[in-house]
Amino acid sequence: MTSGQTPARSAGARRRELYNAWVTAREAFWIALDALYTHKLRSFLTLLGVVIATTTLIVVMSVINGMNLYIANHIANLGANTFVLSQFEWAQGHAAWVKAQRRNKPIRIEDYEFLKENLEGYKAIGATSQYPSRSAKYERQILYDVSLTGVTPSMIDIGQQRVELGRYITEPDYLHAAMVCFIGQDLVDKFFPGADPLGKEIEVNGRVFRVIGVARRIGTTFGVSQDNFVQIPLTSFQRVFVARPSINISVQAWAAAQMLPLEDEVRTLMRVRRHLPFTEKDTFGINASATIMSLWERLTGSIFAVTIGVVAVFMVVGGIVIMNIMLASVTERTHEIGIRKSLGARRRDILTQFVIESAVMAGAGGLIGVILAVLISQIVERFFASAVPLSGVFLGLALSAAVGLFFGIYPASKAAKLDPIEALRMEG
Amino acid sequence: MEPQTLDSQLRESSAPPDDIVIHAHDLWKIYDMGTVKVDALCGLSFSIRRGEYVAIMGPSGSGKSTLMNLIGCLDTPTHGQYWLNGRLVSQLTDDELAYIRNKEIGFVFQTFNLLARATALHNVELPLIYSGTPVEERLMRAEESLRLVELGDRIQHKPNELSGGQRQRVAIARALVNHPSILLADEPTGNLDSTTGEEIMNLFDRLHQSGNTIILVTHEHDIAAHAHRIIHIRDGRVDRDEPLE
Ligand SMILES: Nc1ncnc2c1ncn2[C@@H]1O[C@H](COP(=O)(O)OP(=O)(O)O)[C@@H](O)[C@H]1O
Ligand SMILES: [Mg+2]
Repeated sequence: MTSGQTPARSAGARRRELYNAWVTAREAFWIALDALYTHKLRSFLTLLGVVIATTTLIVVMSVINGMNLYIANHIANLGANTFVLSQFEWAQGHAAWVKAQRRNKPIRIEDYEFLKENLEGYKAIGATSQYPSRSAKYERQILYDVSLTGVTPSMIDIGQQRVELGRYITEPDYLHAAMVCFIGQDLVDKFFPGADPLGKEIEVNGRVFRVIGVARRIGTTFGVSQDNFVQIPLTSFQRVFVARPSINISVQAWAAAQMLPLEDEVRTLMRVRRHLPFTEKDTFGINASATIMSLWERLTGSIFAVTIGVVAVFMVVGGIVIMNIMLASVTERTHEIGIRKSLGARRRDILTQFVIESAVMAGAGGLIGVILAVLISQIVERFFASAVPLSGVFLGLALSAAVGLFFGIYPASKAAKLDPIEALRMEG
Repeated sequence: MEPQTLDSQLRESSAPPDDIVIHAHDLWKIYDMGTVKVDALCGLSFSIRRGEYVAIMGPSGSGKSTLMNLIGCLDTPTHGQYWLNGRLVSQLTDDELAYIRNKEIGFVFQTFNLLARATALHNVELPLIYSGTPVEERLMRAEESLRLVELGDRIQHKPNELSGGQRQRVAIARALVNHPSILLADEPTGNLDSTTGEEIMNLFDRLHQSGNTIILVTHEHDIAAHAHRIIHIRDGRVDRDEPLE
């Protein structure tokens, strides 16, 4: 026969307490899911605030993450410690760009030769020139929007391409303006599926080039494939396409610390070469990934600030709605609470039940938010950068559950404090 | 144990002897309605031994339900002492009261008080949930308890799919599932027709034979006749306390 003694405060009793809590919590979890399922529409409306907050949070995080990836892959991946000398400065305002359009002069091969001779202490220097998108042909197959770039052999050390098959453009190719090309994986997929592309001859912009190498796959960004390219020696580019091309010069420093001195040296050399008086601004642009990165970081900072505000407002509104629904639910279910108390539910059992119910409800809102965000992110990815970060999913779910937990405390404690007999008297 | 010695012991505020499961001494329950005060119980005293089968009778409004709620630790007296299994209930904390309701007392209500949206099985499982019983054991014992009240084939039915008598049997299965030492029933047959009521009473008889202490409230003599002792209550006081043969 049990005597009316509460369990002694031994380690075993505490473990039992924990187990008790776990059993009630699990029970509460199913009650919560059942309630959600029974009142689908009401639940959804209740959760709208949390859904919107979670969706907003994750979409913003995804877009920023997507941009980060893009920048990491492309701009940051100019190569480590690399900056680019080009006609214009990147990522400046439109007005400044229109002005620079008139003042700045193109960078030429001579500038490249000049810098190569006179610049000191760099690791690598290379030049590229881009031709507007063209089509490539092999036998009957045509591939459109192929980017055609003339490059110096040194670009293999500076750019993001890696050799998968064959070789990159070499000094001899460059010296003799050989009609050879180094191609991206998209061309392999289209022209040579399952076949060896090396030695094959493809037609680009009406000229025939022999494939000497294939690049490792890079992937897509902003929904645009980064493997849809043909690179040829810059000399061949001049010979058959543009005799006097405007080029970009990439300079790689040995270490990050040498970036700024090297940039200054290039600036000085170029200003001297262009006879710019010291009052005049540069007529060229020096673009380091750091510039772009810092600009981007400032931008993400303000985007995040706004997002945090929006998310907080929606979460609080959502939390208050949930709190009200939970208060109504406590009133509605007073009789049930009385029954549970009459069967031995303690205050903390009832508290746990309602807090978990509230958290599960809000968590379900969070889950809907995550699903919506993933869908939206997939659409955004088609024409912009977006990648759902796992941390965003966890954050969204945790945040919404926490909101439910927090705003559930008040209704739950009201339920827990009900007197058993008074609660039983409320006919349900 | 003589009643006199018991009373003198209690005056010294010590616990009653071991085989007394319930001892009420000068219990008062006063409902304060603001303008008026209703004395539902006015200094009620009695004891019940382990294994007794007691009926509490009295006219409507005499305080039977109020008393049962006190005995079941659902409510607390305004004054007086109530000893349950040797412990003074007024000194217990909220959690200790919950523990008693869970483990030591099985309460059967006139209106069944089942969770409408839950199956019979889940209703019976509830006390086991609050005692932290592991799932497998919980299901096993809940089923066993339902079989005991001959509802083994109705475990997945919800209350609205069951007859009144079956609902009350579910409630009894629930009251028994944690093997309490005391079974309390407040007019358990009040909402049932006489045949079904008789079935329920047969069940109580069986439970008593297997060693349970049973206290039931009724105003029907036929029902009270099942018990071995009747406590008559009038205006919140014990009117008569008589054994039955
Ligand atoms: N919650 C309450 N508030 C005020 N008065 C109550 C309350 N519960 C019961 N009473 C009063 O207490 C008295 C006893 O009621 P009750 O115990 O329900 O009687 P019985 O069960 O014997 O019919 C009645 O006069 C009733 O009106
Ligand atoms: Mg009554």
